[in-house]
Amino acid sequence: MYLTFKDLRHDKLKFSALGLIIFLIVFLVLFITGLANGLANDSGSAIKETSAQSFVLQKGSQARLNRSELSATDWNKFKNKYHGSAAKLSVNQATIQKTNNASKKTDITYFMIDANSFLSPKLTSGQKLTNKDNNQVVVSDKLKSSGYKIGSSIKDSASGQTFKIAGFTDNKAYSHTPVIYLNQKQAQKVLPMKTGFNAIALKKNLNSSSKYQVINKKTLINAIPGYSAEQGSLYLMVGFLYIISLFVLAVFFYIINLQKLNDFGTLKALGTDTSYLVKHVLSEMGILAIVAILVSFLITYLIELKMPASMPFSLSLPVLLGTGGLFLLITLISAILSLIKVVKVDPITAIGGNN
Amino acid sequence: MTNILELNHIIKNYPDGQQVNEVLKDISFHVQRGEFAAIVGPSGAGKSTLLTIMGALLTPSSGTVSLNGQDISKLSKKQQTSVRLNNIGFIFQNSDLIPYLKISEQLQFVQKISQKPAIDANELLTKLGLKHRLNSYPNVLSGGEKQRVAIARAFINQPDLILADEPTASLDSKRGREVVQIIQETVHQENKAAVMVTHDERILDLVDSIWQIEDGQLKKVR
Repeated sequence: MYLTFKDLRHDKLKFSALGLIIFLIVFLVLFITGLANGLANDSGSAIKETSAQSFVLQKGSQARLNRSELSATDWNKFKNKYHGSAAKLSVNQATIQKTNNASKKTDITYFMIDANSFLSPKLTSGQKLTNKDNNQVVVSDKLKSSGYKIGSSIKDSASGQTFKIAGFTDNKAYSHTPVIYLNQKQAQKVLPMKTGFNAIALKKNLNSSSKYQVINKKTLINAIPGYSAEQGSLYLMVGFLYIISLFVLAVFFYIINLQKLNDFGTLKALGTDTSYLVKHVLSEMGILAIVAILVSFLITYLIELKMPASMPFSLSLPVLLGTGGLFLLITLISAILSLIKVVKVDPITAIGGNN
Repeated sequence: MTNILELNHIIKNYPDGQQVNEVLKDISFHVQRGEFAAIVGPSGAGKSTLLTIMGALLTPSSGTVSLNGQDISKLSKKQQTSVRLNNIGFIFQNSDLIPYLKISEQLQFVQKISQKPAIDANELLTKLGLKHRLNSYPNVLSGGEKQRVAIARAFINQPDLILADEPTASLDSKRGREVVQIIQETVHQENKAAVMVTHDERILDLVDSIWQIEDGQLKKVR
C-alpha cells in the first residue's frame, strides 16, 4: 500500500484519465441497466407486482393472456380447490380520452378483476375499487402524466362508457400502457360481448395441468408483447459492455505496468517480494475502480432525479451494488491479466545497464 | 580479517544454440570487511554476470558463493530475495531510483519492506549532501545527486556487502570520482565490504584491491 499511494499521488493525470475511463464504462452500464429495468417495469409491473405465483391459461394460448379464453366452468374448478388463492383476470388493451377533449387520447390496459380478490391493487391515494355497480375505478399513477387526477372523468373511446377516478395505485403498467382496474360489472359495460375471462391467477405454484396451460409469472411477463425483445437487446448491450471493458481495462493496465517494468525489476533486485508487487498493482487498480464506481453511482443517482417521467428508469439498491461489485471484479481480473509481465520480470534487468 | 564474500570455482554456462557458452571459467574471489574491491575488464568479459552471481540474482552452474559464511549459490528465488534485501546493498549504473518516490521515501521504502531496525534515513541523506533534496522527486536531481541517493539506498539497510555496477558510467569524470570517493569513505567508516565493477581506470586509485577479468577468467592485479 505504501508504493500504491505514492504512485497514485505522483501520476495524478495518468490515473485520473484511467479512472475516467472506468467511470464512463460503469456509468454507461448502470444507465443501460437502469433503462432496461425501467422498461421492464413499464412493460410488466402490473403483473410482476401481484402476489400471484402462477397463471392458468387456456391450452394452446402460448402464454399470451389475450389469446386465452376461460369459462365459468373452468373458474368453478379452481375456485373450489384454491378458494382465496385464486383470482380471475381479464386483460384488454384499449384507448381512453378525456370527456371534454376527444383529440387527446391515451392508450391504456384494462385489468378486469374481482375487487375482493388478491389482484385488487394497493392504493397510493384515493379510494379502493369495490364490486359495486358504479363508475368509480382505480388507475395507475402513470395516468397522472396525461393530466388525470382523482375525480377526473375518463371515457372509453370505443364504448363511450365514462368512469371516474376514485383512486391511484403506484406506477402499474402493462406493455408500456397505464393500467385501469375495473370490476366485473364495469367490465361488462366496456365489453358487453365478453362472457369469459383470460386467466386464473394463483398464489401457489402449480406445475402443470393436462387441460390448461399453467405458467409461472416470469413466463407470463416474458410473453408480454415487446418485453423479451427489449430486454434481450438491452442486456446484450450490457453483457458486451462487461466483456469489452474487461479487455479494454486489461490492455490499459498492461501498458501502464509495461511502462513500469524497469522499476519493478529494480524493486525486485532491491529485495521486494513479487507478492508485494502483485498486491501493489491490485490495490492500485482496486482503489482506482472503487473511486470510479462510487462517482458513477453518484452521477447515476443525480441523473435519475432529473429523468423525465416519460423515460422509464429504475435502479434498485441491490442492482446498483451488484453492478458495482461485478465491475470491481472485472477490474481486478483485468489487473491480474496485466500482472503476468510483472510476475515474470527478472531482477537481473537492473544490472548491466540494460535499462 | 574475515572474508565477507567468497567465490570458489564459479562456472557459469549459457546455452548458445547447439553449443554451450562458458561465460565464467573457474572463478575464485574474496573480499574482506572494510575492503573496497574493483573488478575491471572489457565489455563482454563477464563482469556483469559475475556481479549478478555475487548479488544472489543468478545461480552459478557450479561452484559456491558464500556470504558471511552462508552458501547463497543454491537458494530458492524467495530466499535470494531475502538475502538481497537484508545482506546486500546495490548501486546500479543508472541509479535506478523509483520515479514516484521522493528522495527520503526511496530509503523509507527499503526500510519498510525489511525487518531490520531502521536508522535515520534523512540523517544519512544529509550526510551525503542531499538535505535540500529530501522532498524532491528523482527527475529534478542531477546525475551525481541521483547516484548519491542510490548510495544512501544501498547503505540504509546496513548490509555487509555493497555491490556497485559501473556507478560512474553516466557521470562526468569529476562527479564520477566524487561518487566513488563517497562509496570508499562510507565503506571504510562503516567497515563494510564493497565490490565495484567498472571500466573507468581513473578511479582505481580509490580502491583497495583490483581484479582483472578477461575471457571469463579472473585474476588479482593488486
